[in-house]
Amino acid sequence: METFTLLLQGMATSFEFLNLGLLIFGCLIGLFVGAMPGLGSVNGVAILIPITFIVPPTAAIIFLAAVYYGAMYGGAISSVMLGIPGASTAVATVFDGRPLAVKGEAMTALTAAAVGSFVGGTVSVILFTLFAPPLAEVALRFNAPETFALMVMAFATFVGLGGDDIPKTIFSILIGLVLSTIGLDLITGKPRLIFFGIPGFLHGINFLVLAIGIYGIGEMLWTLEETKGKVQMSKLSVNMKEIGKAFSALKKTFMAMNIGSFLGFFVGILPAAGATPASLMSYGITKQLSRNSKEFGSGVPAGVVAPECANNSASTGSMLPMLTLGIPGSPTTAILLGGMILWGLTPGPLLFTQQPEFVWGLIGSLYIANFFTLVLNIALIPAFLMVLRIPFAILAPVIFVLCVTGGYAPTQSLHDVWLMLLFGFGGYMLRKLDYPVAPAVLSIVLGPLAEKAMRQSLILSDGSMGIFFDFSSKPIAATIMYIAIVLLIMPAIGPLYRKFFKKA
Amino acid sequence: MSIVTKFTVRRAEITVAVILALCSVALMWKSAQNRITWSAEENMGAGFIPFYLSLGMFICTVITIIKFFLKRSLQSTNNEPFIDPEAFKFVSVTIISLVVLVFAIGYLGIYFSLIFFLAFYLKYFSEKSNSFILIFSLTTPILTFLFFEWLLKIPLPQGISEPLFYPVYDVMYGSSSLFMIWIYIIATVLSPSVLVLLANRFIK
Repeated sequence: METFTLLLQGMATSFEFLNLGLLIFGCLIGLFVGAMPGLGSVNGVAILIPITFIVPPTAAIIFLAAVYYGAMYGGAISSVMLGIPGASTAVATVFDGRPLAVKGEAMTALTAAAVGSFVGGTVSVILFTLFAPPLAEVALRFNAPETFALMVMAFATFVGLGGDDIPKTIFSILIGLVLSTIGLDLITGKPRLIFFGIPGFLHGINFLVLAIGIYGIGEMLWTLEETKGKVQMSKLSVNMKEIGKAFSALKKTFMAMNIGSFLGFFVGILPAAGATPASLMSYGITKQLSRNSKEFGSGVPAGVVAPECANNSASTGSMLPMLTLGIPGSPTTAILLGGMILWGLTPGPLLFTQQPEFVWGLIGSLYIANFFTLVLNIALIPAFLMVLRIPFAILAPVIFVLCVTGGYAPTQSLHDVWLMLLFGFGGYMLRKLDYPVAPAVLSIVLGPLAEKAMRQSLILSDGSMGIFFDFSSKPIAATIMYIAIVLLIMPAIGPLYRKFFKKA
Repeated sequence: MSIVTKFTVRRAEITVAVILALCSVALMWKSAQNRITWSAEENMGAGFIPFYLSLGMFICTVITIIKFFLKRSLQSTNNEPFIDPEAFKFVSVTIISLVVLVFAIGYLGIYFSLIFFLAFYLKYFSEKSNSFILIFSLTTPILTFLFFEWLLKIPLPQGISEPLFYPVYDVMYGSSSLFMIWIYIIATVLSPSVLVLLANRFIK
């Protein structure tokens, strides 16, 4: 009952004039960044964080969460109409969305995507409301060792479940952590890694510089390379008859909605996973379980609904560990978490007791954003199709202007803009060689928090690492740490296990 | 065969791995300028954490290099060009123009640098008319100025062009009424379009 009251208060907070205005604006921007190939929720949130300094944290998080949410809806528009996923989270939407559009049923695909997103979003937000308070209550008992163990587990998840090249994944995690150590040592106060005596390094490297570099500049370079060819937009007729036809096609997608919503939410909670693998997994499982699995890939509404349900559900799921444990569940929530630190908040379970307006304002806004995005998405389809016709040669320099100003604004130092360019170019090169970049962004955000938790724990234990592994004194920390170790060695054991059984 | 097509994914993989290994060594060396030891009696040295993290990076790159020579990674056997020659033009011109932009920001200031950057970029890559390019290149910095300096109160670098903005600040922070400020803003935002369209009409 208390949760329900808090939720209502949260909804009332999001209906305040400024918050509601930003929520609708955020949904629109999210739909836009999601729809544009090359831009996704993570790029939108990274580039827009600097402009949220003007409003209070609650309004800022409502705005950015709406952008995140809207981008999950918007990704489907270009997947269906252009055959290019608007964001990586909408890759699976292309599989059946594009064939539907080619068959002349683009409206069915777009409606299926919007309704799927709405259902996934609603189910996940209800699950979020139910799970968040008890999880935060448990997390309130966490001290430094448990916090550090959780962070190690977040890094280990990338290694165990990320699916990328293991040395390259670990390298990405470590480089993010090294970058986070630049500046003054928090215990001894000594300067660390000040290259060439440049004073700009003394204040450390702001996570935004890396995030905007990689997801702004780097992503644009990547997209410029990918989209140099012409794209073919499908024809679309929007009228009530088509919309009615599209809704009647959704009757057979009940199973896809269930799989997408529940699987998406739980995959979204995992730090290494996020919305992209969630949507791909949902598509795969729905296809396997479907009676007409052979038709998947030729334009089935269920093939659009499953990934779209999942990516929205996962985006909400990834906010659960961010709010309750202070551990982001996706690259976008890593940036949101960094944003909270910039706004002067301490991410983690204390937010529920110290900043209830912030937490419940965000949760309440998710319900409202879900509704508004559905309405805006369907109502503005013709407008988004016009936006998709903007040549990338015009959009790209505008994004670069936003990146340069966004990189400069937080610290007002050109040094950071240079670093951002360097990270953008470096991130682009590394991504081309299959180095995953998301772990680096997660580590630069979590690095200072992990170092602080580790050093506090070691002070508590008089320097003994045993504090993280001792079941008798720290059972939660030890359990999490052993899970992390299993995740770390899993990729090494897997092939050995298969080899052994092959020989046997 | 141009340099671009000769630089294959295979070559890029080993080149980048070696560069990253060297960077890791440099980071270890730099970290070692602080104390990198730690024991239960004495506090952790300031260089301890970055040193061992950099050592981990070095080990990862060495494994990547070994996998390359054993041909165990996808990239080690890929002899396709690292970047398509046509795409290389897009990427390289973008990177160079961004570097020039940031250099220019330090000297000319952001607003004037943006005008040149946008004009160059649109002229080079888009097929838009000169009028469109001019209006777009002039209006974007004006909107950037209004957003950052007026709305967010965050000053962006102005370099040698700073004195030109003093009269603007006088209007923004002077005794003008809010109504007049809005009139100035609308006039400023629209002025590039009006000027360019008038110029098009009368100068042939």
